[in-house]
Amino acid sequence: MRCDTEAVTASAAILVVDDHDGFRAFARKMLELAGFTVAEAASGAEATAAARRIRPRLVLLDIQLPDFDGFEVARRLAGQEDSPVIVLTSTREASDYGGRIAASAAAGFLPKDQLSGAALLRFLAEGMP
Amino acid sequence: MSRRWQAALTAAAVAAVTGLVVVTYVPGPPEPLIGTISQAAVGLAFLLAGIAAWRRWPSSRLGLLFTITGYLWLLPSVARLPYALPFTIGNLMAPVYGAALAHLGLAWPTGRLRSRFEAGVVIADYAWNIGQSFVSMFFWNPRTNCSPGCPANLLMVDGSKSAENVLGVISAPVGLALTGIVLVLIVRHWQAARGWSRRAMVPLLWIAPAICALSVTQTVAENISLPFFNSRVGNLVLFGYAPLILLAGPALFVASTLLARTARGAVGTAIVDLESGAPPGRLRDALARALGDSTLQLAFRLPDGSGYLDTAGQAVDPARPGPGRAVTPVAESGDAVLIHDDGLEHEPQLVRLTAAAASMALEHSRLQAEVQAQLEQVSASRARIVEAGDDARRRLERDLHDGAQQRLVTLSLALGMARNRATGADPELESLLESATKEAREAIVELRELARGIHPAVLTETGLAGAIQALVERSPVATTITAVPAGRFPAPVEATAYFVVSEALTNVAKHAAARNAQVAIRKLATRVVVEVSDDGAGGAAPDAGSGLRGLADRVASVGGSLRIDSPPGCGTRLEAEIPCP
Repeated sequence: MRCDTEAVTASAAILVVDDHDGFRAFARKMLELAGFTVAEAASGAEATAAARRIRPRLVLLDIQLPDFDGFEVARRLAGQEDSPVIVLTSTREASDYGGRIAASAAAGFLPKDQLSGAALLRFLAEGMP
Repeated sequence: MSRRWQAALTAAAVAAVTGLVVVTYVPGPPEPLIGTISQAAVGLAFLLAGIAAWRRWPSSRLGLLFTITGYLWLLPSVARLPYALPFTIGNLMAPVYGAALAHLGLAWPTGRLRSRFEAGVVIADYAWNIGQSFVSMFFWNPRTNCSPGCPANLLMVDGSKSAENVLGVISAPVGLALTGIVLVLIVRHWQAARGWSRRAMVPLLWIAPAICALSVTQTVAENISLPFFNSRVGNLVLFGYAPLILLAGPALFVASTLLARTARGAVGTAIVDLESGAPPGRLRDALARALGDSTLQLAFRLPDGSGYLDTAGQAVDPARPGPGRAVTPVAESGDAVLIHDDGLEHEPQLVRLTAAAASMALEHSRLQAEVQAQLEQVSASRARIVEAGDDARRRLERDLHDGAQQRLVTLSLALGMARNRATGADPELESLLESATKEAREAIVELRELARGIHPAVLTETGLAGAIQALVERSPVATTITAVPAGRFPAPVEATAYFVVSEALTNVAKHAAARNAQVAIRKLATRVVVEVSDDGAGGAAPDAGSGLRGLADRVASVGGSLRIDSPPGCGTRLEAEIPCP
């Protein structure tokens, strides 16, 4: 449910952006079990607003969003001060997006079915200066 | 004119000429052979021309005039009969054919005189010729300068020759003046004539001065005593050979009839030569050439019925075509009309033929336009159907992605988590969850392939360059991209180009036994050219498999063309041209 997304905690370290409620809820459960603090956003606009407010260390960003797509959200987030590590995700494969992922502001791509706390930790480790 | 009339007139003409020849050989003073020949030939020619004119121009009086002239020419020969009555009539009527010739010249080519003045000139000519002949007959005693066996002149009042000499002094100037007036009027007719009439005047323009010159010479010879004209040879030339000039009149007329027949052929040729879909202006030009009427106008009724426009865009009124103009409807509906020289009304067959040809050409153009419009409609609807199909597949792929795939992914993740939680606790549950996770992952992969087959998301997401790159990466045959434009194109163009490459690479993998393949896509000024080639077995035919056939249909749906060059043993080269502004 979208109204949940406003109830974010200030200490959230990971922002899950996806318009699919079921996946979002499941990702939150999985990542919280893995020890992360999780916030949610259901659209591109919510994602940029939430990121500005809670400054997550990592954004798990679905490419297909109802307002603007993940690439555009990534571009906006990357422009913010202290920008987070951005991981694009989709049920499709990276090859379905051609060179757009490599050309984007994101640190990488994670197919949705391979989501795990460990996978995100690897991105965090790579993304740290 | 009915066949019976034609037969009757022909029989009468032949009888008259035969009569002439017979009359020539009745006992009496010998007649030179050339005189008989020219008498018979000229008379017969005029009579036959009369029949031809009646057939060709039934509405014209030209046929009647030719016939009258012919009989007036033959009539004087009865004077050779050894009886007083025919002798008198023959001599009396001898000069009248001259007036008939003037009448014919002035009435050419319609058979009608153009003004009261000209009618007056013709009447004066007849009156002068007959009157003069009567007066001379009153004073002519044939016995004095004819052989003593001559029949009597029934009209003779006074046999002394003095009166005839007095008349001769007046006779020559009046005759010459009338001849001059007729000639001037004919030249002015020619100057005023346009289009068909002018062409019809041309033979007359040649023959009239020659006949006038003959007439003048004969008049002069009859009135002035010159040694040459008085000699036997001079007489023979002037009254034996020279009249043969008159043959040119009927001969030129018959020649122009043949030319008109050629013109009828020209109408057909003009229509055949007119390439399909030519604008109405070209049709007008072709018809004008065929009719020999440069003033021809082809006019169409405006759609709102308010008037007519000709092919030059000028408003015209068929109800008032103007002086010297006539109107022939092209079709019964009157939607199109020909406005032409009114002289052509005497060529009803030619005009009817032209109108019919114009009607056929216009109908052909109309049908062609209709077929073209239908073809365009069908092409457009085919393109819309293909596009709608693409849209449906795009939506289907998106629905799969948003729905089933999403849920399956979540399910797979949940199973994975459950398996992690079960680790160490229950080995049987763990292995069960392990295989469930594996099944779910495989389902995800299969569904992803299915979705990609329905419609490649990468094409929507990134356009041709990314989509072709993805295709090439998945191709089992080593494939290189030699050219691909970076920009985006209209969705039907991108989809068509993509399916060409996709189908071609599938064929390469399935049938070609190739080691290498190449893909090149180039954007030219008005089209996108897609080229896929391989170094395989070749021998691919467009009709062999439904794949290539379907691909050709697909390319045709966007107005493009597909070419396959596949000689056995020399690889296959497939080239699609897709229109793209």
